[in-house]
Amino acid sequence: MKKILSLVLALCLTLGMASFAAAEEALPTFDQLVYGENADITASILFAYHRTDIPEKLNGYVDEFRKTYPNVTIEYDLITDYAENALNRVKTADWTIMGIPAVDKDELSGFFVPLGATDVLSEKYAFMDAWNFDGVTYGMPSTGNAQGIVYNKAVFAKAGVTEIPKTPDEFIAALKAIKANTDAIPLYTNYAANWTMGAWDAYIGGSATGDANYMNNVLLHKANPFSDNGDGTGPYAVYKILYDAVKEGLIEEDYTTTDWEGCKGMINNGQIGCMVLGSWAFTQMRDAGEHGDDIGYMSFPITVNGKQYASAGADYSFGVNVKATYEQKLASLYYIKFLTEQSGFAYSEGGLPIDKTGEYPALYEAFNGIEFVADAPAAEGEEALFNELNAESELAINAGGNTKIQKIIEHAFNGDKEFDDIMAEWNEAWTAAQEALNVEIR
Amino acid sequence: MTTHAAGNRGLTQNRRAVARKTLLRILAYVSLLLACFIALLPLWSAFTVSFKTAEEYSSTNAMTLPQNWMNLENYAQVWRGNQPSQSLLRAFATSGLVVVIVVTVSVMMGSMLGYVLNRFRFPGNGLIRNLFLIATLIPGIAMQVSTYQIMTDLKMVNTLWGYMILMSGTDVISIYIFLQFFENLDVALDESAVLEGCTYFGAFFRILLPLTVPAIVTVAVLKGVGVYNEYYNANLYLNSGKYYTVSTALYSFSGPYKSQYNIICAGVLLTLLPPLIVFLVFQKQVYAGLASGSVKG
Amino acid sequence: MTNAAAPDLRQRRKKINGQKVLLIVTFSVIPLFLLALFTYVPFFRMIRFSFYNMSYTKNKGFVGLDNYVKIFTREEYVSAMLLSLYYMAGAAIQLSLALFFATLLTSGLKGSGLFKGIMFFPFLVNGIAIGYMFKFFFTRGFVLDTVLQSLGISLESLPYWLRDQSVNNWSLVFTSVWKYCGQNMVLFVGAIASIDPTLYEAATIDGANKWQQFKAIILPGIKTVFMLNLILSITGSLSAFEPAYVVGSMGANGTATFFIKIHQMAHVHNKVGMACAMAMVLMILILVFTVAQRLFFRYVMKDSENTFNGKANRAKALW
Repeated sequence: MKKILSLVLALCLTLGMASFAAAEEALPTFDQLVYGENADITASILFAYHRTDIPEKLNGYVDEFRKTYPNVTIEYDLITDYAENALNRVKTADWTIMGIPAVDKDELSGFFVPLGATDVLSEKYAFMDAWNFDGVTYGMPSTGNAQGIVYNKAVFAKAGVTEIPKTPDEFIAALKAIKANTDAIPLYTNYAANWTMGAWDAYIGGSATGDANYMNNVLLHKANPFSDNGDGTGPYAVYKILYDAVKEGLIEEDYTTTDWEGCKGMINNGQIGCMVLGSWAFTQMRDAGEHGDDIGYMSFPITVNGKQYASAGADYSFGVNVKATYEQKLASLYYIKFLTEQSGFAYSEGGLPIDKTGEYPALYEAFNGIEFVADAPAAEGEEALFNELNAESELAINAGGNTKIQKIIEHAFNGDKEFDDIMAEWNEAWTAAQEALNVEIR
Repeated sequence: MTTHAAGNRGLTQNRRAVARKTLLRILAYVSLLLACFIALLPLWSAFTVSFKTAEEYSSTNAMTLPQNWMNLENYAQVWRGNQPSQSLLRAFATSGLVVVIVVTVSVMMGSMLGYVLNRFRFPGNGLIRNLFLIATLIPGIAMQVSTYQIMTDLKMVNTLWGYMILMSGTDVISIYIFLQFFENLDVALDESAVLEGCTYFGAFFRILLPLTVPAIVTVAVLKGVGVYNEYYNANLYLNSGKYYTVSTALYSFSGPYKSQYNIICAGVLLTLLPPLIVFLVFQKQVYAGLASGSVKG
Repeated sequence: MTNAAAPDLRQRRKKINGQKVLLIVTFSVIPLFLLALFTYVPFFRMIRFSFYNMSYTKNKGFVGLDNYVKIFTREEYVSAMLLSLYYMAGAAIQLSLALFFATLLTSGLKGSGLFKGIMFFPFLVNGIAIGYMFKFFFTRGFVLDTVLQSLGISLESLPYWLRDQSVNNWSLVFTSVWKYCGQNMVLFVGAIASIDPTLYEAATIDGANKWQQFKAIILPGIKTVFMLNLILSITGSLSAFEPAYVVGSMGANGTATFFIKIHQMAHVHNKVGMACAMAMVLMILILVFTVAQRLFFRYVMKDSENTFNGKANRAKALW
């Protein structure tokens, strides 16, 4: 009896010690992490990500990483409907690293490993407040994006557009010139790909207002944010460009059968004038054919008080599963460190550098004199408010609200609803949501 | 004279009737052929386009026949997949596993419950029948939201076993088919066995179950095809690429291949093969099962 | 001898009874557990949630009938419900076609089995595969347009099957008719085949033509199956999902059925309470149609139950 008791006691002690030891062996913060250390670590990592278009490239990074960490295996799980799928999946243990989907910020710590204090990390890395809560950052951006327009320089030149348009009117005029003077589709909407539609929301903050606080703070407390500012700025102006382009017949003929992969080659060889996509799209369009030199990137055609701005923000950020084993977590951090600092992923994807010492890709030459505006995070205590307003109003702004943008196109095409009426509806939904959540109007 | 005339009239009437009958027959065939044409046209166009090269696909009309019927490049492509999750080979393996397990569980549960409900009178027998009957009135598809929450609570999201349990859940039709089948099996068969000292379990497994093979085949075929083609739950509950079933793998093609129908249709054709084979082999059971399954209302 | 056997038999009977209980419990516990887990628990949860404002992770409080009021006061949801009218119209066409072909196939034509097989096969095709095939089928200048052009119709006079909102829902309904028509037909064939053949003989002797035979013999004989088909089609119409999800790019361009709206409400907007209320509405609609059909069936077509083949009667008694 005594023997058994002591055995149990001993077992408890060792177990306790083990768990104690594991707890003590805390993960280094991301800035402390030194790439190349712990090279003998053994772990297998499952990486859920959305880039179904570049499996070879991603596996190339894995091979490169394994030269330093040979005992770490990494499998990419590339998902087509990533945004919705990942939101379901994030709650499970079946992933090690993932591109963080649209979770509420106050839930971050339940899913992801903390990477370090936001203010400390911000000294070295950009966009550290994209996924932070209570001063702690949980996600390392894969790359940063500027919000602009990818276009075919040759098509614009052929159409006789020599100056890059700076206002909505100039832009629509340029599209008309393309329609009149070339065979190209002036603006390709990518309607059928769904997510390419919701991408329009990213322009209503910095690009349309020049205000870093607009997206995550001002918008939440503004009365009727979708009303016409009267000077060609603000969200109204952004969506109006789309509406007008459709109404004037400046888009593809059958928008319901647009082809996301196909459009890359089409813009490359001059069948498309331009597409409203983040800067991440630039390299994909450039590499999709033989006319890569024709592809250019320009800022969004809105000028605020004589100055142009470009929203800049984090692309999908890498987060590590808090339920993973210690080895998996550590190995994941090393791999993310590698992607951020060694791989050149951000640069080769045409993104803004995350590592603040990194260089800007050439495509941003056209952004000379244009100020990058990174969306400031929500005020303390309001981290989840944007998501709640989005859910309540069902507008899902900047959070997968593809349907509402598709409807702009449909209404413009069918001529069954005026643009101002659509915006009035949105205002109504937004106001109702603000009232339901007792949001103070400033 | 009169009889002759009457006979003549009868003859022309007869001839007219024959002519009308032939005309109707021709019309019948024409409409049937037209229906078959419409039924086959989408399948045929998918079949022909699947042999086209990328260049041929973009330069020829959708209905032009392929230059080389032996071009199996597209099939090889979808079979391998450009990444593991999109490999139909893997998806077939996953779907195969799911179908085998779900069908086995459904057959076992359906036959056991059918046996109990049919052979024994016990308090609750009627209640159980009613519970299952009422369940048919609740559209499962409407409850997906609360079901999703239960799956999350039980940590069954994104696990193969969780999906399989969900899919083998209450399948009223298979229980019904078995109930009906036992109804037609003589009670004396198992009663005598029990009286001769066999246990009820033994009577069920050794005597009744082998006799229900036709019902088993019917349930297996219907359930198997249903599970194989299931998309909604597979999409919702199997998020990870390694668990892609045939349906979700096929759906994931819309990402990288988007409008490259020559490749997509190769995938479509491959996924059609298993149900086609099952149908050709078990045609009778499929028809019969459909009939008995549908009278449940 | 008999004295010795009696207790033995009693004991045996006791054993058998114990065995019976054990068997009943072991054989029914798992199916009942699953029935509760995946039907009744979610069902009652759905009812409860529909009165709350909640997401998957947070419950923001009881809101009474607010969710229901929203469904019926917002044009978007009402129009999504009305979309099922397209599918119901499709179901009507589908049933008529199925009945027509079933009659043809049971009239002793050569090659019936082959025709039946070909027309039935679409029912077994994977919904996603159907989605791709019909997207290809309807794309401008592709399969359908080519066929129509070969009939002498110019491309300019044809609509964009998926873009133009005046036709796109019909295009989607067509895919659903394509899939389910053969299945309905097979059910009709089964019912017609089970009609007593002497009835036809008698009718022929009486001089009834084919149409009269159809009206007097076939139609009454298949009433049950007809009603079942009807109810299946209507519930199918109300919960239509796959055509719009795959062919119509997740319900874009005015093709979002009520069910797709529920899905989006839950998984895009994360409004579980609202989604449950919508599901309740969907369920009540389906129940209303089912009950209405049964009442109709019971009071208007009382006689058919007696004439329908024994199998179904037994089935009814069983339940």
